[in-house]
Amino acid sequence: MQLLFTLLQTLLDGIMLGGVYAVLAVGLSLVFGVMHIVNFAHAEFMMIGMFIGWLCWHYLGLDPMLGAFVALVVTFFFGMLVQRFLIRPILGAPQVAQIFLTVGLLFALENAALMIMGAEFRSVTTPYQTQSVILFASGPERLLVGMDKLYAFLMALASGAAVWLFLNKTRFGTAMRATSQDPMAAKLMGVNTNLMYAVAFGLGVGVTAFGGSVVLPYITASPAIGTSFAVLMFTVVVLGGLGSVTGAIIGGIAVGLIQSFSALVLPIQLQNLALFAVFILTLALRPEGLVARRRS
Amino acid sequence: MTQKTKTTLLMTRRQALIAGSAAALAAPLYARSSFAQSNVINVGVIQPLSGANAQFGINSRNGIQLVADEINANGGIAALGGAQINLVISDATSNPTQAATVAQRMMSQDNVVAVLGAFASSLTLAISEVTERRRVPLLTMSFADQVTGRGFRNIFQVVSKASALGGATVTHTRDLARANGTEISRIAIMYEDTAYGTAQANGLRNSAAANGIEVVMDEAYPLGITDVSPLINQLRRTEAQVVFPVSYLNDSLLIIRNMRQQGITTPTVGGAAGYIIPDFRNGLGDLSENVLSISPAAYDQAPDYTDRFRDRFGYFMVHEAQEHAACMGVLASALEIAGEANPQAIREVLASTTFDQGWATVMSGGRIAFDETGLNIHAVPMMVQWRGDELVTVAPSEYAKAEAVWNA
Repeated sequence: MQLLFTLLQTLLDGIMLGGVYAVLAVGLSLVFGVMHIVNFAHAEFMMIGMFIGWLCWHYLGLDPMLGAFVALVVTFFFGMLVQRFLIRPILGAPQVAQIFLTVGLLFALENAALMIMGAEFRSVTTPYQTQSVILFASGPERLLVGMDKLYAFLMALASGAAVWLFLNKTRFGTAMRATSQDPMAAKLMGVNTNLMYAVAFGLGVGVTAFGGSVVLPYITASPAIGTSFAVLMFTVVVLGGLGSVTGAIIGGIAVGLIQSFSALVLPIQLQNLALFAVFILTLALRPEGLVARRRS
Repeated sequence: MTQKTKTTLLMTRRQALIAGSAAALAAPLYARSSFAQSNVINVGVIQPLSGANAQFGINSRNGIQLVADEINANGGIAALGGAQINLVISDATSNPTQAATVAQRMMSQDNVVAVLGAFASSLTLAISEVTERRRVPLLTMSFADQVTGRGFRNIFQVVSKASALGGATVTHTRDLARANGTEISRIAIMYEDTAYGTAQANGLRNSAAANGIEVVMDEAYPLGITDVSPLINQLRRTEAQVVFPVSYLNDSLLIIRNMRQQGITTPTVGGAAGYIIPDFRNGLGDLSENVLSISPAAYDQAPDYTDRFRDRFGYFMVHEAQEHAACMGVLASALEIAGEANPQAIREVLASTTFDQGWATVMSGGRIAFDETGLNIHAVPMMVQWRGDELVTVAPSEYAKAEAVWNA
């Protein structure tokens, strides 16, 4: 009985965690899918989202779940500017140049945050942080999910669905996918590819910033927080298959489950060992990712 | 008569010649030491000013800055003709490799008489390799046992070692519980797998064994953990009466919140670092009330001094600031006694003197003297408890400012 509860609890924790990883990685996947650029600075936009969420909470009393929308909008426009002035000039450049630029951007953003926000850890206080829903209880055993995790998960799911709908059900989304598949053909069909790139980048970093704000109730914001998530995000997108929204979501949940289940059998320190073992196996056996990227 | 005068004159000329060439040879050395003696004394400060431990590094720098400014405003180091303290501050980031590089650069470029740093034990250990090689004293408040456990001659640890802190955590907790009618027999330990966390957990473990207390959970977790639910799930399955988490800030917030979320009210006794800074209170609000923690020094023991920090920086003097201030105070006294800005002369004074003046008195124990390994023999671990926005010393009884609240 206890074992069953433990397994179910672990499953639940893994899914909750994975949902958030998914929304953080959707943006990265989108940027890669449309622009074919590996954005090493991507996790820094999560940090920006966290700070925007925190500022909204601190000065406007806005819950981080609502602050997330502010983070999305602000970061979207900021991302468009970054794309216009930094990313566009290196779109056709050698990969080394792209790596240098995005890694440089990573350091610049982290240190700018340090200058503007200082090194303090910024944490929000919300009533639901210490509440949980008990799904099922029997004797001393309980199956529960924290409200903060649940809210973050639902928000993540909603934003993932919104991005998917945008890409697949709108004219703009179709144009964006066309740009991703063949920029030249898209241009000939009258698609403004520069606009597509700018929107894809803005949306990509915006969604990640959104994810940053929704995790604020249980993760503390600081200028260096991006580093903790950067490798995780890349693992998620590579597991799921670079460039697909569904792939990022499946990859995210997979990473969450691997992390939580490995903690059952292995010391928690080796959590990421299990993750990277699966990661390497995936690269060796199924390099296109768990969900193959749609190519037409 | 004439002859004699001539000889004297000749000898004087020869002496002058010798003296002159010696002076010429020694000129760079002379220029350097006169620079150090008449104007400023360079003191190296290496702290994690960016990265995961930046907040602690900044607190530490503030503490050192406060003392240095006070010394300079009061006429500098009298024994060195009123020389001013010039802090050479460097960012160690939160990465030991970078810390060692920074220390190396400081040794070769800045001619520092001593180094103060670097909060996190892993950084301090990296820096100490450099300072030991260059024979420059390093004063630190890092806890790890290895700091003074490697036979280094130029390192001075003003705080109790992590193992002593861990041991005191267990015995004080047992006594507080006993005073409230609870006998502790089962405890849980969770710690960050850094030099600091590992050493302190070791102290907790050994002390528990020595006191016949069973450790029902003993789990290390990686630095920068983002999800602690596996830990708390495990805690929920044990029947621990007290939980001892050893961590920096982010994990401490996660652990407390996740415990409350799961309805766990087991008394929590923190392992210093993240548990005794204002951010802990800011991040947790009322949940922080009555959380206990061990602390190598407590600001309510020396309010005359620590209030100056509060006046200047607007928050209470956190322990890392207080201990770094004590390091700076000890260094200033050592400079006064040594009367020269020479690292090895300072080292000798540090190793042989009991410091009981000025900022040296803010450390627990009220004075500082180092044994042959460089450990401060007077340091006493304090148990503090959150009351509103303040920390209050509750143990040992001779230092206590209030009764402990035990809510088991």
